[in-house]
Amino acid sequence: MFRRRFLVAGGVSLALALTGCTAGSGSKPATAGGSAGAKNVTLTFLTFETPNLTAKYWDDTIARISAKVPGVTIKKLVSPTTDRTTYAKQLAASGQLPDIMIAVDPNGFAQAGQLASWSDAQLSDFLFPHSGAIGGKVYQLPYNSQPVPEVYYNKADFAAAGIASTPKTYAEFLADCAKLKAKGINPMVVGGGGSDTWADLYPMTALVGTDVYKQTPDWLFQKTAGKVKFSDPLFQKAAGKLADLAKAGYIDPAGLSRSYADDEQAFRDNKGAMYPMGSWFASSADNKKPSFDIGVFPWPTDDGSPVLPVYTGGGMTVSSKAPDVALAQKWALALMTDKTYLDGSVKTDGSIIAEKDYTPPADMGPVYNATLAIYQEAVKANAVVPAFGSETGDGSLLPGMNTKVAAGVADVIDGKKSAADLGSFLDSEWTKAAQ
Amino acid sequence: MSLMSTALAPPSGGQTTGQRGRPVSRRRRARLPKALHFLTFAAPGLAAYLLFVLLPIGMSVRTSFTNRSLINNPGQWVGLRNYTRLFSDADFTQALKNTIVITVIITVVANAAGLAIALLLDRRGKVYNAMRAVFFTPVILSGVVVSVIWRAILTDDGLLYSMLRGLGWHHPPGWLSNPDYALYSVAFILTWQILGFCVVVYLAGLQGVPQELMEAAEIDGAGKAARFRNVTWPMLAPALTINTVMLLISGFKVYDQVQVMTNGGPGNGTTSTIAFDVVQTTFTENHIGYGAAMGVVMLVIIAAVSVVALRFLQRREITL
Repeated sequence: MFRRRFLVAGGVSLALALTGCTAGSGSKPATAGGSAGAKNVTLTFLTFETPNLTAKYWDDTIARISAKVPGVTIKKLVSPTTDRTTYAKQLAASGQLPDIMIAVDPNGFAQAGQLASWSDAQLSDFLFPHSGAIGGKVYQLPYNSQPVPEVYYNKADFAAAGIASTPKTYAEFLADCAKLKAKGINPMVVGGGGSDTWADLYPMTALVGTDVYKQTPDWLFQKTAGKVKFSDPLFQKAAGKLADLAKAGYIDPAGLSRSYADDEQAFRDNKGAMYPMGSWFASSADNKKPSFDIGVFPWPTDDGSPVLPVYTGGGMTVSSKAPDVALAQKWALALMTDKTYLDGSVKTDGSIIAEKDYTPPADMGPVYNATLAIYQEAVKANAVVPAFGSETGDGSLLPGMNTKVAAGVADVIDGKKSAADLGSFLDSEWTKAAQ
Repeated sequence: MSLMSTALAPPSGGQTTGQRGRPVSRRRRARLPKALHFLTFAAPGLAAYLLFVLLPIGMSVRTSFTNRSLINNPGQWVGLRNYTRLFSDADFTQALKNTIVITVIITVVANAAGLAIALLLDRRGKVYNAMRAVFFTPVILSGVVVSVIWRAILTDDGLLYSMLRGLGWHHPPGWLSNPDYALYSVAFILTWQILGFCVVVYLAGLQGVPQELMEAAEIDGAGKAARFRNVTWPMLAPALTINTVMLLISGFKVYDQVQVMTNGGPGNGTTSTIAFDVVQTTFTENHIGYGAAMGVVMLVIIAAVSVVALRFLQRREITL
């Protein structure tokens, strides 16, 4: 009898212990799946931490927004790496998709019906409300515009090489690269090492913007429809320019061992004159000024006309299975329109807020202001194109293709692939990704 | 007749009659409570093993026959399509080749270097004890920590690069940025980390070699090399078996170091391994069914290689 009791007690204890092992346990109220009523609802919020976006930053933000939206208790989940989309997929695979997520690519989740869409009324405060739409619906709040890339440069290096002004055309850009190299200065710092292989993409993103999207802004839509290929002459022109830059020694392959953080440090350590990078570098440059002055210019086109690749999105997504979807959206929207949060995002991450009536803090630094001015001029000149590799929504790369493009670009920089090889490689990978 | 009534039945010449008229010995009766006892203690462990190992394996096998993805969940049955696709997938075959290269390197080099270091450290004294601890330290570090440390050393702005340039070598190789070297750099770091384990196992083996055998060989005129070849090496057979099987399994499972140091690059798949490819395919490319098929193939390879190696090395132990 004792043994039976012992076995039963052991079995029950084990079952309880295993039940407690699920990540989301305790986070859902009794009202899961329906309206929460007047009771407090616990919602999980997936975020990520960086040296700028610390645990305290998120805790303070959560406390501030929760005070604005009563009836919500937020349980913070932190992605183990900055790749929160992959982490969200891992959670989704085990049925634990967080209720609210920030800066998670909605592609895949939205098509699977796992995300709640935002209504036009909810998007009324945003400047580009339908940016990143999937099947005509918006699943991620488009709160932030990021030029990807702008070219940050070391003014002292340019002066040393006798370059008086920034290049307006691609021919001038090549001439400046040649002058820098002749002076023994590495023209461009490009990363792509460690787990940050994506960091080698920026020259390619710029070239696709100036040579492909300028003529055909919906090129990736056409690729999805099977109308164009990476081996077509239009894309090959961009790939060829990248291969020529690498062949001429204007992109240092040493960068392929540098992580994103090492890459930025290499530019700060004066290991190259130019640094093609997303606009988020602007705040970093202002907050922690290197030993030289930094300037910025847009990647030049052949004829000197303005083109700027820009990604708009990066905001909150809400799970369609959240215990209370309406309340989760209310909380997410409150965070995305919170002036303190937006100011913090501008100051720490160089965000260009894409919301009506928003003005950045008056004390922003010169690199941020110059970055913003380039963006504003491009908007005024109707010269904004999608940022290849950063797009979300219908006109974006298939899941996993980003990694393949970055790998192909690394092979071109290392001299292992020609432009034609890159085109056929990407076409082949696209076919595989679409299976 | 119930089990309880059988157990309580009076003895009849040392035997009683069980179900279906078979005799039940006293010994068997005595064993029954023991079996129950065993089950009581083993049940939590068995249940955990069933839930966290066997059940997920079963689920993965089932998933591998579907086209499940993030969008198409739970997916449809596709039979062997994922498995046939694997063998024409250049990324998978590249990952398989890389995994084999890494496994062969760490199995051979860690075994050889581990044995050499164990022979050097098989002495008494504080210095030798300290050295044993030094060699074992990397084993207890996580793969991620080791990778971060080594990346700082091997990157093109890193410690080794700067040191070599300081010594006058103006363009040292890109240990992690050059596709021709990156895979060997990863294999070297894995070997460095697991070396301490081999050293400890061989040291334990060396300390189990009977001293009288060594003395007898010495009296018979055997030199150092002959004593090692004819006494020490055969006596180390069990240590070789343990090390080899552990290294083979570790080699085929490599993921952390690749993820942190190279993310499968530089370039397309130059350092990707099967485990790395499984994660990429499943969680980056969203092909859950196909990724599961890769995982099942990886499981079969590890199981087959381990069984073959174990059989071969255990047979060698008996022969010796």
